[in-house]
Amino acid sequence: MIAALSREGRFMLRDRAAVVWLALAFALSVAAIAFGIAEVREQRGTIAALVEEDAADRANAIAGQSDWGGVAYNAFHLTYAPPSDFAFAALGQRDASPWLHRVRMLALEGQIHEADTRNADFGLIGRFDFAFLTATVAPLLLILLLYDLRSAERVAGRHDLLLATAGAERAVWLPRSAVRFGALMLALLVPFWVGAALEGASAFVVARASAVVLVMLGVWWLITDRLGRRNTAPATILTTLIGVWLALALLLPALAKAAIDARYPVPEGGEILLLQRESVNSAWDIPKQATMEPFLARHPEWAEYATIERPFEWKWYYAFQQVGDQAAEPLARQYRAARLARDAAAGKAALVSPASLLERYFQHLAGTDAGAMIAYEDAVRAYHARLRAFYYPLLFRDEPYDPALLEDLPRFTPAAD
Amino acid sequence: MSTAIRIAHEEWRLWLRSRMVVAAALIVAVLIAATGALTMERLTTQAKQRAAQQEAAEAAFFAQPDRHPHRMVHYGHYAFRLPPPLSVFDPGVDMVTGQSIFLEGHRQNTAMFADAKASANMGGFAALNPAALYQLLLPLLLIIIGHGVVLRERESGTLGVLLAQGQSALALAGGKALALLGVVALFMLPLALMAAYGVAAGEAAGPAIALVAGYGLYLMVWAALVLAVSTLVRSRSAALGVLTACWLAMVLVVPRLGINAASALVDAPGKIESDLVMLSQERKLGDGHNASDPAFEQLKQDLLDQYGVESVEELPINFRGVVASYSEEKLTGLLNEFAERRMQSEARQSEVFGRFALASPTLAVGAASRALAGTDLATHHRFLRETESVRFGFVQALNEMHATKLSYIDDARRSVDPEAEARTRVNAQAWAVLDRFRFAPDPPAERFARAFGPLTLLAGWLAALAALVVYAARRLAP
Repeated sequence: MIAALSREGRFMLRDRAAVVWLALAFALSVAAIAFGIAEVREQRGTIAALVEEDAADRANAIAGQSDWGGVAYNAFHLTYAPPSDFAFAALGQRDASPWLHRVRMLALEGQIHEADTRNADFGLIGRFDFAFLTATVAPLLLILLLYDLRSAERVAGRHDLLLATAGAERAVWLPRSAVRFGALMLALLVPFWVGAALEGASAFVVARASAVVLVMLGVWWLITDRLGRRNTAPATILTTLIGVWLALALLLPALAKAAIDARYPVPEGGEILLLQRESVNSAWDIPKQATMEPFLARHPEWAEYATIERPFEWKWYYAFQQVGDQAAEPLARQYRAARLARDAAAGKAALVSPASLLERYFQHLAGTDAGAMIAYEDAVRAYHARLRAFYYPLLFRDEPYDPALLEDLPRFTPAAD
Repeated sequence: MSTAIRIAHEEWRLWLRSRMVVAAALIVAVLIAATGALTMERLTTQAKQRAAQQEAAEAAFFAQPDRHPHRMVHYGHYAFRLPPPLSVFDPGVDMVTGQSIFLEGHRQNTAMFADAKASANMGGFAALNPAALYQLLLPLLLIIIGHGVVLRERESGTLGVLLAQGQSALALAGGKALALLGVVALFMLPLALMAAYGVAAGEAAGPAIALVAGYGLYLMVWAALVLAVSTLVRSRSAALGVLTACWLAMVLVVPRLGINAASALVDAPGKIESDLVMLSQERKLGDGHNASDPAFEQLKQDLLDQYGVESVEELPINFRGVVASYSEEKLTGLLNEFAERRMQSEARQSEVFGRFALASPTLAVGAASRALAGTDLATHHRFLRETESVRFGFVQALNEMHATKLSYIDDARRSVDPEAEARTRVNAQAWAVLDRFRFAPDPPAERFARAFGPLTLLAGWLAALAALVVYAARRLAP
């Protein structure tokens, strides 16, 4: 067996086309990994710099204040989702969903949908990351490496002779295609492993990712082998394989996406903001009681302190901010649930496309899938709730202003990946 | 010439007899028809919806009750980006950027709720739309149909016979080119229909024609590449391999590497990042809500001197309104400076990424297509600029009211004195200061100017490949 493999290895190195495809795979893998690492490092650098600037800005904002309401109005708090140590391989939704916010005590619905997105062209065309390379480009390279193993021998007139001398059919084709498959896997995975070591990704995650690449490309190997057996011209085999690739890697995912988006409509996002804004702004024109009632329904503990006597009081101001969020809450919930439903449906639909399955699995490992982005939003909501829990006692009990107490302001800590 | 037509005719006859070619063409035809119809339906609905939302937003603003004008500054307004008629073919960045923006005092918000954020994630590709099919799929179909145009003759031995009969190799290549051009012409029909629909929906004829011409050029580039490879390479499967690799590189790899490179080479800080830098500068400008902020001392002194009075209470105008207007103007200058910087670095990124079009005609045609359809990044930036001027317009008009219609004493006491509060409410008829906003695509000339570079590049590709075809044909031997 070893002799057969090394013989096939020598054959492969003499096939110029095969060497070109393998070199291309290696170069693309290096490029994908290098750009991926550069991007996550830049994102980490941005976050580190912002954490410092944010603290300085908040200290500056608090310095001039003389009451709790003013502090809560002026102090912004940075929230963020740092890229995981595996994100370099699959940047996923980080180009489409925000991973940075600065929130304050005002109605959260007006702040959390803020899109700190990058250049729109990025989201339109997409990045060349390792997940895209292995899911979409690598199968095509594998097809180019393997489609004419048999038919080329047929064209050369050696096919039957080869089989006769080798005895069993498998003894010829298996080592030949295994060598090529193995070489492609190495060309793709070696840069990936080096990158993972540089980024300090967990070995278990890297092993799972490598296994998925192996299995998914194994599926493509099987498909290529099946269709490559047919006794037709190599060009016909290649055309068929390209058609299969196109269907599995491009058309089915796109059709599934369109069908899922149609099947699970997402509420018009703008409506969330409109509701929140109408509620918040109408508060100035309606009796204070009309604001305090729905607020106290959520927070009965402040009922004793909730009489508003003057036209403007901070506790009333923050109460109507919260009531604005309450008004938009059903719609915001629907928006979140619809996104999760779409993602769950996409997870099922991905079973028909090895390319989608691989990319989604990578994004899942990297914490860059829709679920992770929604989890980040949940973390921002939880943090905002902690801010309210911090300020409400101070505002409602009308505690004397004491900047020293601000030492205990809740701090945002990102979820560990 | 008649030889060329005869050769092309023969080629077509063979194609029509090939089940694979006919099946592939039918599948693509169905795809184009289906995505075309779906995209058209989706964008036409969205255009109507957003126009209705824009009117509703204005109606809501006008219908607000009597209020303190500053409340209306915070009540704010919504602006919607209406999709241009040709977006039914190429929706461009429409999916990726938010389509509506909330306009209020003291802030520039981002456009929120992009479709892409909430859409089902199937990995790799953006949603299919007609433009994507033209950019990605039709070249592949051309490859599958055309890679054997010359090789077929070579492999069946007819090439030698043809050349031996004194048929000139150039005429042969001309005939094959004509056959491929016929395919390209057929491919252009659905696009021509969609462009006509765009014109019927109010688009100028110029950009619509240029769009069709641009894609014609693009597909001709691919036809020339297919013909050149088919003439130069010795076997059908090798030609198909080379062409597939070209497709892979130009359509899938180079554009995305361009994005990576643009992102790595040009640092474009996100909005939150640049806002933080800005905020620290903003604090130096003073808080416009607080007229006793020391930053406004100079302003106060100037006004007192101008009216020859001793205190702000004696001024014939409301000092608080003056401060609001003054600080909004200062702040807007700062906001615009940072927004402009951000947009410029994005434009620089797109420029870097545009340079990759030298290696990928797909990038070139995509850029030209979005520019002509009015769905490119530059159009989105213009939307942001125009909405900003709407924002500044109504906010300053309201601040003007604040300064001239309200008494300073009432205004200062409104937080504690309900009667003073009631006197600071302005009659709701004043809300008519809001400008009507209808976003429209750039005039055709500007869109041509943006599409000119990429289209020239495509023409360059075509000229180079045509030269290659001639060179290959001259060396053609059985």
